[in-house]
Amino acid sequence: MTKKRLDKEILIYTIIISSLLFFGGVFIGYNINMDRLSDIQKEINNVNSDVDNFQLQFLFFDVLGENATCPLLKDTLANINKKSYEIGSKITLAGQEGKIQDYSEQDNLIEEYSRVSVSYWLLANKMKASCESNATTILFFISKECDNKIPNPCDDQGYVLTYYKEKFGNDLLVFTLSEDVEEASVHVLKDFYNITEYPTMIVEGDKYENFVSKAELGIILCEHGMCV
Amino acid sequence: MIWLTFINYGAWYVFIFISIFWILTLLKNREHVAGRTGRRKYPSLSVIIPAHNEEDNIEETVKSISKLNYPKRLLEIIVVNDGSTDNTKNIAMRLKKKYNFRLFNNKINKGKGHALNRGIRAARGEFIACMDADSIIEKDIMKKMLPYFDDPKVGSVTPSLKVWKKGSFLEKMQHAEYILNIFLRKMLSFIDAVHVTPGVFSVYRKSVLREVGGFDEHNLTEDMDIALRIHKAGHTIENNIEANSYTLCPNSWKTLFKQRIRWYRGALNNYYNYRHMLFNRKYGNLGIFFLPANIIAITSLVVIFAGMAWGYMRSTVDSLWKINLVDWDVQVMLGTFDLESLSLIIATPLILGIIGVLIGGFVLYKSFKMTEGGIKEHKPTYLIYLLVFPLIMMLFWILAIFHEVAGMKKKW
Repeated sequence: MTKKRLDKEILIYTIIISSLLFFGGVFIGYNINMDRLSDIQKEINNVNSDVDNFQLQFLFFDVLGENATCPLLKDTLANINKKSYEIGSKITLAGQEGKIQDYSEQDNLIEEYSRVSVSYWLLANKMKASCESNATTILFFISKECDNKIPNPCDDQGYVLTYYKEKFGNDLLVFTLSEDVEEASVHVLKDFYNITEYPTMIVEGDKYENFVSKAELGIILCEHGMCV
Repeated sequence: MIWLTFINYGAWYVFIFISIFWILTLLKNREHVAGRTGRRKYPSLSVIIPAHNEEDNIEETVKSISKLNYPKRLLEIIVVNDGSTDNTKNIAMRLKKKYNFRLFNNKINKGKGHALNRGIRAARGEFIACMDADSIIEKDIMKKMLPYFDDPKVGSVTPSLKVWKKGSFLEKMQHAEYILNIFLRKMLSFIDAVHVTPGVFSVYRKSVLREVGGFDEHNLTEDMDIALRIHKAGHTIENNIEANSYTLCPNSWKTLFKQRIRWYRGALNNYYNYRHMLFNRKYGNLGIFFLPANIIAITSLVVIFAGMAWGYMRSTVDSLWKINLVDWDVQVMLGTFDLESLSLIIATPLILGIIGVLIGGFVLYKSFKMTEGGIKEHKPTYLIYLLVFPLIMMLFWILAIFHEVAGMKKKW
């Protein structure tokens, strides 16, 4: 009986088929992730349109007056508020999964999201002044520096903020800004509030550096009229 | 941490590669899967049954051997009671009168290898079959295995080893594993790389056993050690997928754990002892391909498992930590849960995992088709086996590696 040899044909077909299956799987995963980022981009575009719409609505003040305009502005604000926070969470979650992806694409999304958040924050403050809104605004500064710490204080702060957002809904407006983006408006705010530690929250103009616990944040919000 | 992702992906590639290799090997050799037939002359056969504390099973084992469809004048049964502390010796002495076999008694337990060697030294047969004392065989098994010995290079022929009693869920899962091993052993025989001769009716030429010096009396897995030595001596090991033997398997997690730690530590020791065979052309496909591929495959599966376990543990700890931040107010945080967040798990690792499970499922299906004509019952159990059992076995591998590295005492 001749010695059994390893069939080279089998080996070659094995390499081809397993490579097709493997790289096919990687390709599908990559495309799913790209679609995910693309969906987030579309949502940001939608919020951008809503913010432009919001700006436009301010022009109604001169024509229709405060009584007619403020309810409209409040509705629009509530709509933007919900979408905006969800986008922020999605970008964060997608990044946390640590998958191989186009990081530049994710960075672009964060930059665009930060720009939208700044516009939204400015308009929200303007609306509050014009319409006597009770909403509390929080500027929430985060940084990749937080990734070097265990536990990640930016993630933890985000979670506590999400908790209070669920509690207070549209009465609590949270604007997340990443220090890592090349967006001028974010750096203007960072310099204005002298942000050096991360995370930092600016709650109605008052600065709170590093992680603030649920209990402490509850007291702070209560001081601004939002008590649990 | 991107390197961890690459290692994980690499491990999946290895798993897919090896699975596809076996599927293609089966396709290429599908006409040779069925057993060979027709040996004209029956040689003398000695069946050696080493027994340690087997009072519950030895009678069935001896009865099964006595029913072997083989000329009685050419069949010799040797029972070696290896220092049993239960009633095995008394039962063996009673059975000796009924079944007319030779009985040797070791006063103290000296191990399976020693018991087998004692039997081999006393054996008169030209061929030796080793039979665990908690196993049975089908009566035509020898007729099915003998034709392979027409090739003088064949030093041993292995059977199709199945689970004897499949009552519990754990036993059914092991049944699926044994069926998969039957498939793998047959595929290995196609490339002359069978690396284990199971202790349940593997048949050897006595001359080959003597040539390789018998069984290693200090080895946890003497069945793997002897197979590697048979290859090293230039002989081949064949397999008949239709020659059925049956053995008891652990029916509790504790005994399964002990068994697998022994098996895997034994394997690690053998890989180390026979490391000179790795990538060595002198040892044919076993040395060049299978042994290195097996080590890489085991390493890959351990990496995959470790990656999954790490991921699950990290997610769990992270979730518990976060919920603690909000004083365990789960009800409020459930409001943030949506299907879209859940959809984030659909990513490359999950897709590779699905591909792996589908390929594994196909191999399992083919294994059942080859050995039992298909999966006729307990389908949900075998699905659970596919999804869960490999993870548990990988945990046992990690523990075995830990035991070995820590130099913990070896136990049978």
